[in-house]
Amino acid sequence: MTDNFFMLNRRGLLAGAGAGTLVALAPRRAGAVLRLDINQGNPQPMPIALPDFVGGAPGENDVARNVTAVIANNLARSGLFAPINPQAYTEKIVNSDAVPRFPDWRVINAQALVTGRVTKQGDGRLKAEFRLWDVFAGQQLDGKQYFTTPDNWRRIAHIISDAIYERLTGEKGYFDSRIVFIDETGPKDRRVKRLAIMDQDGAGVRYLTRGDDLVLTPRFNPSTQEITYMSYGQGGPRVYLLNIETGQREIVGNFPGMTFAPRFSPDGQRVILSLQQGSNANLFVMDLRSKQTTRLTDTPAIDTGPCYSPDGKSICFESDRGGSQQIYVMPATGGPAQRISFGEGHHSTPVWSPRGDYIAFTGQARGGFAIGILKPDGSGERVLTEGFHNEGPTFAPNGRVLMFFRDPGQGPSLYTIDITGRNELKVPTPSLASDPAWSPLLS
Amino acid sequence: MISTGLHAAVLLFAVVTFTGKSLEATPVEALPVDLLSEKEFSEMTKGVKDAPKPDKPKPLVEKIDTPKPVEQQAPKIDTKKEIAPTAEKPPEPKPPEPKKEAKAEPEKPAQETPKPDPIAEKLKQPDKPKQETKTEQPKKPDKPEKKPPKFDASKIAALLDKRDPTRNAATGSELSSSPSLGTASGLAAQLSQSEIDALRARLMALWNPPVGAQDANSVQITIRIRFKRDGTLEIGPQVLTSGSGVQFNAMRDSAVRAVLVGQPYTMLRPDHYDSWKEIDFTFDTKEMFHDIPVRRPL
Repeated sequence: MTDNFFMLNRRGLLAGAGAGTLVALAPRRAGAVLRLDINQGNPQPMPIALPDFVGGAPGENDVARNVTAVIANNLARSGLFAPINPQAYTEKIVNSDAVPRFPDWRVINAQALVTGRVTKQGDGRLKAEFRLWDVFAGQQLDGKQYFTTPDNWRRIAHIISDAIYERLTGEKGYFDSRIVFIDETGPKDRRVKRLAIMDQDGAGVRYLTRGDDLVLTPRFNPSTQEITYMSYGQGGPRVYLLNIETGQREIVGNFPGMTFAPRFSPDGQRVILSLQQGSNANLFVMDLRSKQTTRLTDTPAIDTGPCYSPDGKSICFESDRGGSQQIYVMPATGGPAQRISFGEGHHSTPVWSPRGDYIAFTGQARGGFAIGILKPDGSGERVLTEGFHNEGPTFAPNGRVLMFFRDPGQGPSLYTIDITGRNELKVPTPSLASDPAWSPLLS
Repeated sequence: MISTGLHAAVLLFAVVTFTGKSLEATPVEALPVDLLSEKEFSEMTKGVKDAPKPDKPKPLVEKIDTPKPVEQQAPKIDTKKEIAPTAEKPPEPKPPEPKKEAKAEPEKPAQETPKPDPIAEKLKQPDKPKQETKTEQPKKPDKPEKKPPKFDASKIAALLDKRDPTRNAATGSELSSSPSLGTASGLAAQLSQSEIDALRARLMALWNPPVGAQDANSVQITIRIRFKRDGTLEIGPQVLTSGSGVQFNAMRDSAVRAVLVGQPYTMLRPDHYDSWKEIDFTFDTKEMFHDIPVRRPL
């Protein structure tokens, strides 16, 4: 106390402007704990070690290695992880049940370590198990096992990727999902467009149509293995439903005129679309069970590109009712629409994030096309990527990644980008590709 | 009487000890000095600029004390100016004249009273050459003005003296506050600000917050660390915040990982180990994600 007293005295004599600072730095009572706020981090890809999974029998080593490779590729492409070159590993994992030698992994600065094993069961099924370790804390973070048919090993790899992603980022993954898109082949004037589907990493491409008709804007049913899309059959464009598994397809509704830009409601029970009447287009919704249709807008303008919010209560769409294409939001039951995009140029192809926090759009201004996002109230608009031609954004199931197509002139291809605007990546496709639509998580 | 005597003794002792330990505290001074010096310098430079403008600055700048009396004597010079115009050339020489006057004045008092001697001696030397160059005019003004200026000049000088000390005092108090900073921490054997900054910087560089935290508005993790003298952890990080859920777990693990990876914390000096042997770190992303690379809207 005397020390303090005289410190104060001296302070008073000095009458320093820094007295406040002094108080803050005055000695604490013995036993008090110093407190420090760490309010800034350094977000960067997390170094992760993924030694090859162990095969239960010599013949299973290939599958085990493939599973590991798919996981490593998924994590690396997310931009949030940096798989470490396996040549740096000093410990060879031979038993995925044993606790790894953490110091060996600390040396190469691996912050997380994944070990696993793939074995074939007596009944012919594949059993895959993995353990996720925190190297510096020296403890297991997660461990799971899955059973599947041997030809389904890719999905197992995607599911394990999602589990790792979720445990380390605190957010749902998006790897166990698929992309439906338009595969384009042939010369520009006689382009054959086929409906195709693949895993989100570009593997396992399968064609759903033969390319006889022009197909556009495929969209997933969030709850079933169904797709809705637009096709130019006889008599102009029509909206179709297609069952991926059975190949069965049907026209949506019996509308007097061209229908386009379809999309499912979040519960998969309804399809919302645009119906052209004269030079105008308006929004309609059809209940898939009762086939009952309801008109949502009635304007002397072109209303199209409708998309439900994830809670199904609102709809965003594009309209030129204000003079140029802009994004509007209105109640899902119809009613007054509110314009939310006010930036420079046109805003089109709005799509609501599965998380509900953003609406992505194609922006067009000054001869360029950009992919951007804005909040449903119209605030926080920002451009993620721009260039000569970017179009048609679609959200990953966790709302953190967008896929879109870009055509620099030679033909379109698919790209992904993080909603922060980072980590732009090309998606491998067998040929030209456009109009991607991301499925919900499969499991 | 005894108490005052004791107080005085202890105060003296404290002052001595303060001065003794201020050497250790020198690194701490860096921060406050930086902050204060900017203002000081800007103010000081402004003040100096204002002062010399009316006069011709270069000779005055060399000695700050002398020019100020010159300024206020200038009005008296005006009376001399009336005399001066008869010789058309001198408008330039006139301003230097006051200097001679100002310097001349102290000369005579200097002879009478010993105080201004050092200044006067220096002043005498420049005075002589100037007087030589302007032989005719200076002699006349010097003699008549000597008596009245003394009274005015002394009052003005006193006023000027008061102004100067106030500026000095302001700078003095600010400057002296920083050594007091140093002594305070020196006494308490505490973490210096630079050590705290280094520690925080290390953790901020190592902490890789999970992306999920970006959407969690209120996830805050407080971790208590017990350090060993060598800067490594004595026991594992103690998570003081309770919570559950995927986001919480990811956030907690990322914070713990940063603390573990950062060992040993060599920026913490063992000589005041007591002040940092236990630290609570609060990891918070609230202020982090405002600066997501926002690109211009369309």
